[in-house]
Parts: sequence; C-alpha cells; structure tokens
Amino acid sequence: MPVPHRPRRLLAVALPFLAVALAACSNAEYPNSIFHRHTEFNRDVGHLFDILIYLGTAVFIFVETLLLYTIFRYRRRSESDRPEHVHGNTTLEILWTAIPAVILAFIAVPTVSTIFKTQAVATADALQVQVIGHQWWWEFRYPQYTMPGMNGKTDTLTTANELYLPLGRKVNFALTTNDVLHSFWIPQLGGKRDLITNHVNHLWFTPDSLPESALNGFCAEFCGTSHGNMHFKAFTVSKENFESWATHQMSPAAFGAVAMTPAPAPAAPADSTKPAAAVPVAAAPAPVAAPVTPVGFIGFPLDKIPKHVVPATPLPEGLAFNEQLKGDPERGRAFVSAGQGGCVGCHVIRGNPMMAGQVGPNLTHVGSRTTIAGGYYPNDAKHLALWIKNARMMKPGVTMPTLGKGQFDPVMKMTLPAGLTDEQIADIVAYLQALK
Amino acid sequence: MATTASAPAYAPVESYVGESGLWSWLTTVDHKRIGALYLFTALFFFLVGGVEAGLIRWQLAQPNGHVLSAEAYNQMFTMHGTTMIFLAIMPLSAAFFNYLIPLQIGARDVAFPRLNAFSYWVYLFGAIFMNASWFVGAAPNGGWFGYAPLTTYQFSPGLNIDFWVIGLQILGVSSLAAAFNFITTIINMRAPGMSLMRMPMFTWNAFVVQFLLVLAFPVITIALVFLQFDRFFGTQFYEIAAGADPLLWQHLFWVFGHPEVYILILPAFGLTSEIIPVFSRKPIFGYPVMVYATMLIAFLGFGVWAHHMFAVGMGPIGDTVFGVTTLLIAIPTGVKIFNWIFTMWGGSLKFTTAMLFAIALVGEFTIGGISGVMHASPPADLQQTDTYFIVAHFHYVLFGGSMMGIFGGIYFYFPKIIGRMLDEGLGKLHFWITFVGMNLTFFPMHFSGLYGMPRRIYQYEPNQGWDTFNMMSSVGTAILMLGTSVFIWNFFKSIKSGKIAGNDPWGGGTLEWLIPSPPPEYNFAQIPRVTSRYPAWDVKSPGLTAEVPHSHRGDGRIDVDVASKHTADGHPGAGHEPEQAAEAAPHIEIATGKSAKDLGIPMPNPTIKPMFCAGGMVIMFTGLLAYHTTTPRPALALAVILSGAMIMVVSLYAWVLTPLEDHH
Repeated sequence: MPVPHRPRRLLAVALPFLAVALAACSNAEYPNSIFHRHTEFNRDVGHLFDILIYLGTAVFIFVETLLLYTIFRYRRRSESDRPEHVHGNTTLEILWTAIPAVILAFIAVPTVSTIFKTQAVATADALQVQVIGHQWWWEFRYPQYTMPGMNGKTDTLTTANELYLPLGRKVNFALTTNDVLHSFWIPQLGGKRDLITNHVNHLWFTPDSLPESALNGFCAEFCGTSHGNMHFKAFTVSKENFESWATHQMSPAAFGAVAMTPAPAPAAPADSTKPAAAVPVAAAPAPVAAPVTPVGFIGFPLDKIPKHVVPATPLPEGLAFNEQLKGDPERGRAFVSAGQGGCVGCHVIRGNPMMAGQVGPNLTHVGSRTTIAGGYYPNDAKHLALWIKNARMMKPGVTMPTLGKGQFDPVMKMTLPAGLTDEQIADIVAYLQALK
Repeated sequence: MATTASAPAYAPVESYVGESGLWSWLTTVDHKRIGALYLFTALFFFLVGGVEAGLIRWQLAQPNGHVLSAEAYNQMFTMHGTTMIFLAIMPLSAAFFNYLIPLQIGARDVAFPRLNAFSYWVYLFGAIFMNASWFVGAAPNGGWFGYAPLTTYQFSPGLNIDFWVIGLQILGVSSLAAAFNFITTIINMRAPGMSLMRMPMFTWNAFVVQFLLVLAFPVITIALVFLQFDRFFGTQFYEIAAGADPLLWQHLFWVFGHPEVYILILPAFGLTSEIIPVFSRKPIFGYPVMVYATMLIAFLGFGVWAHHMFAVGMGPIGDTVFGVTTLLIAIPTGVKIFNWIFTMWGGSLKFTTAMLFAIALVGEFTIGGISGVMHASPPADLQQTDTYFIVAHFHYVLFGGSMMGIFGGIYFYFPKIIGRMLDEGLGKLHFWITFVGMNLTFFPMHFSGLYGMPRRIYQYEPNQGWDTFNMMSSVGTAILMLGTSVFIWNFFKSIKSGKIAGNDPWGGGTLEWLIPSPPPEYNFAQIPRVTSRYPAWDVKSPGLTAEVPHSHRGDGRIDVDVASKHTADGHPGAGHEPEQAAEAAPHIEIATGKSAKDLGIPMPNPTIKPMFCAGGMVIMFTGLLAYHTTTPRPALALAVILSGAMIMVVSLYAWVLTPLEDHH
C-alpha cells in the first residue's frame, strides 16, 4: 500500500474543487460561465451558490480528511491485531444526524426565499418577449412592439435566433414551443427555463451590470437531432439603441433603399462592417416596399462581437459554391416572389406580400442578423448561399429542404435532378443580404 | 459426476457444484449459477456501455468533433445511459442478490428457483433485443429519459424509440419477477435465529432495493405502455396536438427514475458495508442506524422525483417542497458515510483491493453527494441542470459510488464464487488506474458545466472555454478503459490460475464464509442456527464479538422452531432434517465432494422451461416491430406475436405442471 501518497491524493482532489470558487472571480476565459453576475437573477443564484460551495467545500474537506486520517491512523500494523468490537455510539450517531440537519437548514432558508423572489410575477413595466422554440431554431417576438400588417392585421415585431435586450430594463420572457421540449438559457444572464408544449412558462431578469455585449444562448433540453446546434445570440444594448433597433425592425423589408446612406448612429457605429456587401448601390427603387432608410442603430456592430459569440462551425465536406458570383438583389426578389425555390411557402418577409409562410424564421430583416441557422453559421454570402443550396447537409435534421440543383438530399437520399442554380442562389443571397 | 477432475493436487476435495456443460447452464435453477450468469452477462454489457462512452468522449475530445454524426451521437448517449443503468449496473447488483442472499441468510436456494432462471433469461433476451437495434441502424435516440413529445411518433417515427419502449418493458418484467422472488426469499427462508436485525448489511440493502423495484417499476411501465399505445395504436396520452401535457411523462418517469437511483446505489452500499467491517476487523458501526438510514433513503427517495424538473416551471410551492425533501435525503446518506468511517475508526485496516474500492466509494460518493445538495436548491439548479455539472454529479454517484462498490464486491466475492482469488497485484493496479481515470474523467465536467456547457450536445464550438476540460475528460476515459482492461485480464487469468481461496480467504463474519468456495449446490449441508450478526466470527474467534444489547430477543422461540417448524417442510431452503438442524450451531463446513443426492437433500430439478417462456415473451414483443416499420406488415406482426405467445404459454403450462423437485 502506498500509504504516504494519500495526502497527495487528498490535495489532488481538493484543489480543483476549491478552484471552482476562485474561478468565479475570473470570467474572462470562460465566456459562458454561470458566475457572471450581470442580472439580479444571477446575483441571487450566485449568493446561493456561494453558500453551497463554501459549505460543500467545508463538508468535503472535513469528511475526506476524517476518512484519510482514519485509514492512515488505523492501518493494520500486525496481523495479530484484534481491535475491540464497538457496535455503535448513540451520542455520535445523534450528532452526525443533527449537524448535517443544521447545515441543511442554512441552505434551505435562503433557497426558499430565493425561490419565491425569482418566481414572483414580473412587474408590469417589464419588456415582454415571447420565446417560441422550434426544432432547431428560436423565434423571438416583442408583443409590445406592433405595427399594422397586411389585410388589416396587426404584426408583431418578430425576429429569429437573435435577441436584443435593453440594458437596465427588466425583461419578462414568455416561453412556449409548438413542437418538442426545449430549454431557454443565457448562462451569463440567468438560469434555464424549459419550453413545454401546451404550457407557457415565464422567466425574468434585468441585465443591468454589463456594458453593451453579445452573449451566447443555448437550448438546454434535448430536443432531437440538432439539439447541439440550437443556439442563439443575445445582445444587450442601451435603451436608446434598443428603441432604434426596434423601430427599424418594425419597418417593412428595407430592400431597395437599404444601406445607401448609413447615417452615423449616436451611440454605436452603424452597421457598415457587415460582410459580403454584394448590395448594388445603384439598385432600382424599391418596387414593393416603401423605401426606408435605416437610421441609427439597426444591429449589433460586428467588430464588437467577441470571438466566442461568432459561430465557428466547419463546413460539411463536399459542399461548394462559386464565390465569384455576384447576385442581383432585384433579380433575387423577383425570383422568390414568383414562388421560385419555394421560399414563399415557409418564410415571411414583411413588405413583400408574396412572402407569408409561417413555418420558418421571419426573414424581414435577415440582412441585419449576424448568424443564420440557429446561431450555427455566420450570416455572410458564402454561408447563406451554401445554406440555401443544401441546408440538410449544413445542419443535420433540419426541415429546410435541399434546394441546389444536383445536390444530394440526405433525407430523401437522392440527388436532386432539378433545383436552383448557383446563379439563382447568388441572386437570392443578394436579396436577403439587402434586407438590412 | 464431480468437478474435481482438473483440481490441483493440493486442493483435496472440491465441493460438488453440479453438472457442467452448456445444457446444465441453460437449464440451471441454482441461484449461484444464475448469479454467475448475471455477473458475466452484465460485465459484458458494462464493456459495451464503456465502448459507447469511449466513442462519446472521442467525439467530444475536441471542438467540432466529427467521429460521430449528430444522429449517431444521440443514439450513442441514449444507449450508453440505458446500457449502463439497465444492462450493467442493475444486473451486476442482481448478480450479487442472486449469489449472496441465500448464502447470507443460510438458505439453500431462493424461494422460486425457476422464476429466478426466468428473470435472468428475460434480462438476457431483453438486452439482446435492445442492442439488436444497432444492427438495423435504429438504436434508441431519445435519451435514457425518453421525454415526450420527442419520443412520440410525430417526432420520432423510426424504429429507434420502438426498440427502447419495448426493450425497457421486457427488462422491467425481469426486475419485477426477481424482486418478488427476493422479497419472498428474505422474508421466509432465513436460517433459524436470523432475525431481521441480524441480517447481513448487504441483504438488508438488497431487501430494501427489492421494495424499491416493486414500487418503482410499475410506474415506468405505465409511462411506457402509454407511449407504446400512442405509437402503435393511436392513443393520445402524449399527443400534443390533442392537448396532451408533456409533464405527464416527466412525472411518471421520475417517480420511477429517482428511486431507480437508489436501486443503483444501495446494493453497492450493501457490498461496502460487508467489505469494510471484514478488513477493519470490526463489526459495522451502528448497525440499526445503518438499517434505518437505508429504509429512510428509500422512503424519501419516492418523495423527491420532481427535483429533476425544477426547470419545467412547477411554481414556487412545488419547487420548495421538492427542494427541501431532497435536502433531507442528505441526512441518512451522511449517516452512512460517517458510520462507515467509524467502522474503520479504531479498527485494523487491511488495504486489499476490495477494501480500496470500498474506501473509494466512501470518498467519491461524498463528492457526488455534495454536488447533489448543490442542485437540490432549485434556483441554483436552474444554472446547473442539463449541463455537464449534472453529468459530473451522477457519474460520481454511479461510477464513484455504484461501480466502485460493485468492483469492490467482485474482488471480495470472486473467491467465493470461483473458488480462486483474483490477483491482488493486478487488482491494485486496476484500482489505482481506475481511481485516477475516474477523477480525471468526471471532475473536469464540474467545470465545463459551470462554465456553460450543456449536456447531450454532439459538438461544441471552440473559444467557449471548454476545450481543456473536455480533453481532460477524454484522456480520463482512455485511462478508465485501460484500468478496465487490467480488470478483465485479471478476471480471466484468475478464473484459470488464481490462488485457491478456501472457505474464507478474508476472515469474513457472515454465513457465506463458513461454507466451501465455490459452495456446493446445496450451499449448507446443515442449515446453521444463527445467534448473532456475525455468526462466522462467533465460530472463528469466539469471545471477540462483544454482546449486542437486545440482540437475543426471540432466541428462545427460535430454539423451539428449529426442532419442530421445519420438520415437515420439504422445501430446500429450510432445515430439512430435524435432528441435524437442531444441532446445527454455526460451524465451518468442509468440502466433501458429495452431491445433494448423496446427502439426501432435495434440490429443484434443472429445467429449460423458464428459458423458453422468456424467449417466447421476447419474441411476442418483437412482433410489434413489424407492425411499425415504414411499410407496416400487420400479418407478419400478428404471426410473430402469436407464435411468441404460443411458445410462452405452452412452456409456462409445462413449467407450472412440473413439480419443482422429485418426490421421495
């Protein structure tokens, strides 16, 4: 028996455990750490976690030290050892029933008060956000931001996979799903809450102790094939920028006059760094939508997005797109509006009356988003083109069909004889990218 | 024939363990052979589950891993969990239940030997059925928890979930049949003088586990039957379009699922409670409290299920109730930890491999217990649930707890089962590699979880701060696999050429150490009369065991019983010959090489019928699959179901109409 090694064994186990508590102080390397105390929710949970980790560590050290001391102290020294047969000790046994009970009381009391505090009904002034889970992407709706839609209906500000939150204002999420269960989680801002079919769940917090930031969000409940690819991005922005963003998002599809004159925003630079600007400056006037000039803050500046929030998914093998092709947005618009490619069946582009499908993400301002496909790929010309060409190869299990001509559809297990050519895809990409 | 043919010269007589040959194994109703079958089968599936774990960790070793596709990964983690729980740890525990319970209570077999064989065959066929899904490319992929509505036909139309739903029901039959059998055995077949409060700790833990099984498995069966009817026959228990509440599944599943955790851990606790006293040369500290703690854990275990569901939005009252009851479970569990430590306190500790594993259980389970308390607090749990922190927690419980205890149990009881010792040098190598590998695999998962890594994701992106921890976990898994290879080598090497064990290689205190290793087919030539908790110590070192107050209550009554009660009872478990039984104070039985027939002990006859009955049942279930392929073939389904049912019913009648043992 290598007895002398035992204290080292204790250290080896105890040190990393302690390090958890220390690591809580240094979040830089761990961008999705739960120890970011950016909201009252995370501060409350953090306070509880402190109690748990300190008491837990104390119990751990006590028990393991006692164990190691016992096995060291009472190791057999001679084969003729005949220790006294002790059957028990009532006092001791009552003690180690009672002391843990007291320790648990120290956990239970703040636990219960935190339960009732965090699960109270959110105050009325909160920003309401409706979160709808889909296999495998997120729909976000802002029911306090509505505008007149087609045929006398009222449209609600709707976006996908990118969540904008004003700093310093409480946000109350109403969580629902139309398919399987999902779980909504932004570790930096708060705990999870499941999306349960035929239920509406709520979660609220106030992002108040962080600068304008880009954060990762995840689906935390197993939801099928691409559960691991069901991400979203959360952007916390100033109240002014949030209102500016919301005003822009409420406008119909901006195609036609988009990004002609990017006016400098007061709080943040305009979105001039958007990649793959295949937008023809001299495009024809908007034939469908009323020309809208984006003013102010219309999207989180790409150059301020940290590396860990930018998708780094490698492209599947065997997929290629001629990147030299420069599409024409007007041609793309006309193409999809004529029902070509089938886009109209699933997607909404407000301002384009042909685009009214309710299955997939709302694409009204897709050009202002930083990611596509449930936060799985960056939103640039190349990824967008490949996505349209063969989404089912790009992300396992997706509903979006494979559209490229001659592409292999992994669900149908066949190569498509007909479909979109690279030129047509380039046009569609140009159109979508113009939808700032 | 006797099995002494290959015995070395220095082993004068080996005990008569019965016929050998394939047929004797297929027809055996001997609880020891069935225990051995469980042991070998479950170890095989432990390796299968380990390979699945290895593939999972290979995939996750680096960001954007591409060893497995998303779909293959989902099948892999579902089958890893399902295999380890239902096909490895539970049957490993069942191996010990089978082997040890009759030996520890001084019986000659279980109450229903043929039902016992049936349980094993159902388990084996169920395990094969479940894994056959790999070969048709449709392994279950909905997670071991199988949450509806993902597992409903609408979202999982393939055969994958069908295999899972049917497979779990098959395995449930096995567990339930075994549980009733062991409860009956323990209640009815204890040797004279073995009051409940003199039962060995392992038997106590096993006893409690059987009640957990009996109470928990019907609940999952209901959940599964609902799902099966939804999938096959168009009911709408979980049909969301019809307004179903998916929480129905979750509640039913976890009402089973949490007691299941104790079904997995209590047998290992029992083994630890046998090992520690022997290698401390002291009786278990606070025997009654250990018993009450076991019962309390089991009882509270039924009142905490919704702590798996803190994120579903039960509301503050529900969260409070389940948070607090969960915290309460820490108390009896802590009592066990301290009682083990104080069993060692003041003892004379010998660090055999079995003892090392038992001590490791105490140390590692403590870590799992502490992290368990951390997510018993619902608000804190909202930041922990469904992350790798939980994965770390339950692997400390299930690997650091259950598997450490089971490994300890294997090292401890291998000599009894095989008659030869496992190599201690290789054993210690196995232990230390496993100890290092286990902590390296699972400790970093605490960090990846707290740093935001969700569970059940087949890929993760770089730059998230998770790379190092994942690489550590994967390296740890490789080390674990190395350790397991050492164990497997040791296992087979020692079966062939291990040191001859003799009756009692460790100085054990319970009845099984008074009889030869391996025990003869009838276990005890004379049923012993038990007067203390450690009858073997009474024999081998009389006077050492201090008097336990109140432990002699009822002994007078038993003396009368010994002479009269069992006389007319021809059952193999009871003392058959009154004049022998009356004098059968605990004593060391020497291997005689005599068979039960030589001694005039009636033993149940071997029979193939339980195996046929189990096979028919599984064929019957399999028929459903044909009903549900993309091109349903109802005629084929019906034909398979009916032929399976026929085999089952015919063999069941043949079984029931054949007497258990010869009349004489």
